[in-house]
Amino acid sequence: MGHCILTVDDSSTMRQMITFTLKGANFEVLEAGDGVEALEVAKGKKLSLIITDVNMPRMDGITLVQRLRALPEFRFTPILVLTTESDASMKQKGKEAGATGWIVKPFSPEKLLDVVNKVI
Amino acid sequence: MSRWFSGALASGPAPVQEALAVEDGLREAMLHLAAREASMLEGQVNFLTPEMLQVDSLVREAAGTLEDALKTLNRSVLQQHSLAREIQANLSISLEGDAHSGKSDSIGNTIMGTLDGFVNHMTEISGSTVKLVEQVEDIRERSRRMEDMLEELSEIAGRTHLLSLNASIEAAHARQFGAGFAVVAGEVSKLADRSTALSSTIQEQVLGTRQALERTDAHVHAIASKDVNVAMRSKGESEALVQALQTSNWIVKDLVTQLEENAKNITQQVGHVVRSLQFEDLVHQTLMACLKELGNLLEQAGAWKVLESNLAAGQPVPLALASLEARLGEIEAARVQFRAVKSGSLAAGDVDLF
Repeated sequence: MGHCILTVDDSSTMRQMITFTLKGANFEVLEAGDGVEALEVAKGKKLSLIITDVNMPRMDGITLVQRLRALPEFRFTPILVLTTESDASMKQKGKEAGATGWIVKPFSPEKLLDVVNKVI
Repeated sequence: MSRWFSGALASGPAPVQEALAVEDGLREAMLHLAAREASMLEGQVNFLTPEMLQVDSLVREAAGTLEDALKTLNRSVLQQHSLAREIQANLSISLEGDAHSGKSDSIGNTIMGTLDGFVNHMTEISGSTVKLVEQVEDIRERSRRMEDMLEELSEIAGRTHLLSLNASIEAAHARQFGAGFAVVAGEVSKLADRSTALSSTIQEQVLGTRQALERTDAHVHAIASKDVNVAMRSKGESEALVQALQTSNWIVKDLVTQLEENAKNITQQVGHVVRSLQFEDLVHQTLMACLKELGNLLEQAGAWKVLESNLAAGQPVPLALASLEARLGEIEAARVQFRAVKSGSLAAGDVDLF
């Protein structure tokens, strides 16, 4: 069975680009527009990886990481933060919340796939 | 307390009338200034907000169109890649053998092998035909010699006949002493006649055989000259055909390789497009940060409007100014300078695995 990846971003363009890249590498991809929707979509799913933005309406990415880590089924699931934020303090917040890695936008497809294959 | 108000108090006492006149003038000036400031700020914000929202909308629409184009392009590339692979697979099976199945034979090799076999076979037949011609020639030569011998035999028979005639004449001269000799001469003559008749019959047969051999010789010559020429010509034509097919195969293979190279380049470019298309998100976030700042400016305009209404309501100028300063301080304190996008280019960002 192939890997299923959830991508969370309020920008539909970003979701499309991530989905386009991952589907091109034969991954199954689920999408959510913010943290709240991500928690709903993730419910009951067997996810191999979650890629989330930080600045989103309703629930930001850092809170989403904390909420996911509190759920037993996603305690050890790799979570990559893909954001425009590159501040060391923000990165530290992500690390403390339980993120696996931090990718600064824009991403290049090869680099993203490289990281995905490393953490999955 | 306002710094302006404190400054005014620090400037020292003045006559009441003069002070009132100054305050009226100041109030008037402040009213005018507050109205202008509020109007200007509001105007700028009201102008910039829809402009920025329009930029956001245009960028989003452009990004959407580019996304669709990118997906179509990607589908076409994948299709082209698949077609190129299919063509290459078919080519390798048809003319060069199927490398995947381990078959080394190709149609080209098979055709050339068959033709070689055919030509070799024809060459062998031709060789046999030449030998046959030689043998026919040998038989014809023997027939000719037999004819010569038969002619000699016929001559001997003629002479024998003449000899027996002379013997008969001599026997007649010898009368009763030659009677026995006459019988022998008669028998010799009969034998000579039979020999002549037999020789003629054999000569006729030999002549027939020679004529048959000449006809056979002509046919064999015709076959010997034809089969090799036809086989060689056919082989030459087939070789040229196979060569043309192989050349065509190489050209198509080269084209397929170029197609694949092209597909690789396009895929690489698609990667650049995927990276560049993320400008929509970066622009959106930048615009949203600018709109927040504009909201802040709108709040400042509101503070100036409050000043205007306070002054219009007759509130003392220093008090109204102190109130404005306090409000501006609140706005400043609540202001969050949010600059989400730090990157100044579309180069791929850093990756940090924890």
